[in-house]
Amino acid sequence: MADDFAALCANEPELATLRGALREFLAADRAEFGWQQSVDAWLSKWDEPFSARLGDAGFLGLTIPIEYGGRGLGHLHRYVVTEELLACGAPVAAHWIADRQVGPGLLSYGTEEQRERILPKIAAGRYFSAIGMSEPQAGSDLAAAAMKAVRTDGGWILSGKKVWTSGAHLAHQVVVLARTSPMDSAHRHTGFSQFIVPTDSPGLEISPIVLLTGEHHFNEIAFDEVFIDDTNLLGKEGDGWRQVTSELSFERSGPERILSTAPMITALVRVLAGQSEVDDHTAAAVGDLLAQLISLRQLSVSVARALADGRPQVNEAALVKDLGTRFEQESVQLAADLLSYVDTDAPGRAAVADLVEVAGLHAPMFTLRGGTNEVLRGMVAKGMGVR
Amino acid sequence: MTVLSGGVFGSTADDLTDLRALVDDIGARSFESRIGHRGLPDPFDRIAWGHLEEAGLTRLDSVADSGGGPAEVAVVLRALARHAVSVPAAETDVLACWVARRAGLEVPETGPLTIATTFDAVPYACDAAAVVLALTDGDGLRVAICDPAELSITKGHNGGGEPRDGVIATSGAFVTIEDAAAELTRRGAWARCMQVIGALDAAVEFSVAHTREREQFGRPLSAFQVVQHSLAAMAGDVERARAAANLAVVAAADHGFDSPQADYAVTVAKVTLGRVVPAVVTSAHQLHAAIGVTIEHRLWLVTQRARSWIGEFGDTAHYALRLGRLALAADDPWDLITGNASGSGS
Repeated sequence: MADDFAALCANEPELATLRGALREFLAADRAEFGWQQSVDAWLSKWDEPFSARLGDAGFLGLTIPIEYGGRGLGHLHRYVVTEELLACGAPVAAHWIADRQVGPGLLSYGTEEQRERILPKIAAGRYFSAIGMSEPQAGSDLAAAAMKAVRTDGGWILSGKKVWTSGAHLAHQVVVLARTSPMDSAHRHTGFSQFIVPTDSPGLEISPIVLLTGEHHFNEIAFDEVFIDDTNLLGKEGDGWRQVTSELSFERSGPERILSTAPMITALVRVLAGQSEVDDHTAAAVGDLLAQLISLRQLSVSVARALADGRPQVNEAALVKDLGTRFEQESVQLAADLLSYVDTDAPGRAAVADLVEVAGLHAPMFTLRGGTNEVLRGMVAKGMGVR
Repeated sequence: MTVLSGGVFGSTADDLTDLRALVDDIGARSFESRIGHRGLPDPFDRIAWGHLEEAGLTRLDSVADSGGGPAEVAVVLRALARHAVSVPAAETDVLACWVARRAGLEVPETGPLTIATTFDAVPYACDAAAVVLALTDGDGLRVAICDPAELSITKGHNGGGEPRDGVIATSGAFVTIEDAAAELTRRGAWARCMQVIGALDAAVEFSVAHTREREQFGRPLSAFQVVQHSLAAMAGDVERARAAANLAVVAAADHGFDSPQADYAVTVAKVTLGRVVPAVVTSAHQLHAAIGVTIEHRLWLVTQRARSWIGEFGDTAHYALRLGRLALAADDPWDLITGNASGSGS
């Protein structure tokens, strides 16, 4: 009989084997290279040698076909790898966007030349990308984006500004959403196209937008008549909006929407477990915290499985992001409260306190990146027939 | 894997689709027939029970060749709860028949049955063809089958109007079964989770319908963004609860109620639903405002049943503590999160 229980836990034999192999890799790699386990590592821990080692070990480009250097596996394989990396707090930021968005985008819309040029480097963990969507006047209302791409001989001239572009200062390329025809206020989502823009393009200026933590992950990119040749139009001219939004369900429902603070939570439970005695009230609070996480993961896995089967999950995916990111935020204070029950000199306590502090500083971003939760709830309301 | 599918986003077509439609039809007819007749208590629905028996849906888990198991039972329980059908389907199929079989005792092959784990708040005791007494004795159970006519019964009801009667037994031939107490509690908690999902689905459906219909300030309530967001938050909570309950269904279906998988999944579901119920109930009532707190409105039938059910067979705090202890005892808490700890993985 099929073991549906294992399937709902993303633990079928094949996935469990992959999970086990990755755990072994991570333990050995951390022992050798000494990277710190971190919360919110997918935004903040850029470690190019780690990404290359991960690629060499076969844990990147899982859904990229073998002929382009990938593993030719399914979305659930990628799901398992992604969640294990996040739960471990591994430094995954360098390859994150290339592996999550650019690879699938090229497979869906890229030309053969683009796929051959870029996919093998993504699968090898040696090619990094940013995504240029938001603009100073276009945040939640992405359709207000005004970046212009004007046809010219052999290509396009891009002019305008992109903001909040994570990792652009370190990436090889930025995938940019631009208007290839003027805004039509009756059809605001038409006239967009996507471009692959090398970060060393003349006329491109990348400057930091510093986070309240003092960290530099975000950037502003000014395009001063940047020439992009025809080989770097991604997909069809005028089809940019559909290309950008059609695969958002994977991104919205993925493990990174529930597990940004998971290394903090598991470290906390380990430290608590090391206490000589944990009272019932504290243990029950741990149970409550974990029930939220487990149920969210169940929802996330069920969405991933439905998407892998080709069933649309627009509402459910939006719900995962809304619920998951709010949980990530709430988990910080819950963890801080639980930490106060731990003896001040307990081994590991200081490390958990550091994770709580960093998670607290990053928490405001959880519910706004990739589209604010208010926008998501509006989408869900539409799905419920009340908007 | 989508056993409990349904609710505001529609259901997934699978091999349970026909069963879902069948129970939905029985439930809808029961609901219709009771409009204007609901009260405290809301009595046993003998007609609906008859329809369920005709369709062969009252002993799916407990009769070997019924063609059903936990998945089918979950579909039936959810759908009946969604229509607030007042019948002891869970008590008969998941609890009383199982205990009697374990004890080697005979129970009537037709008619509703009930289970009494204490002498208080026994579901539908007056209406049952037999009351199965199952009193906890350490890890075991002391079991006796009683004819309700021989019991002294005081009628009562839970917050949702379902019969919950007090019973006094003056005699009984008890059989002791070892190591059955935990599974009985788990079965009860499992069944109540399935019913809660049905009740919450109805609470969200009612809230959507009401806010679309009711106009204030010259437009439907559903046109207000704050109302839309409240509805979306309810739907999110219910989908998360459904995912947790669904895991409990497949755990029981694949590995049995006495498995570590079922123990884990029911524990998670009880905590999850235990926190979701108050949130969804609060929002549903807030969106319905004053009309929703009246006995003539349908809302209380689902909100108050959800509240009653989630407190039975161990309350939320009890299961939260249990899950917390499992996590603190795990070699790796991440294994527990991925459903792979203490032998519960594949």
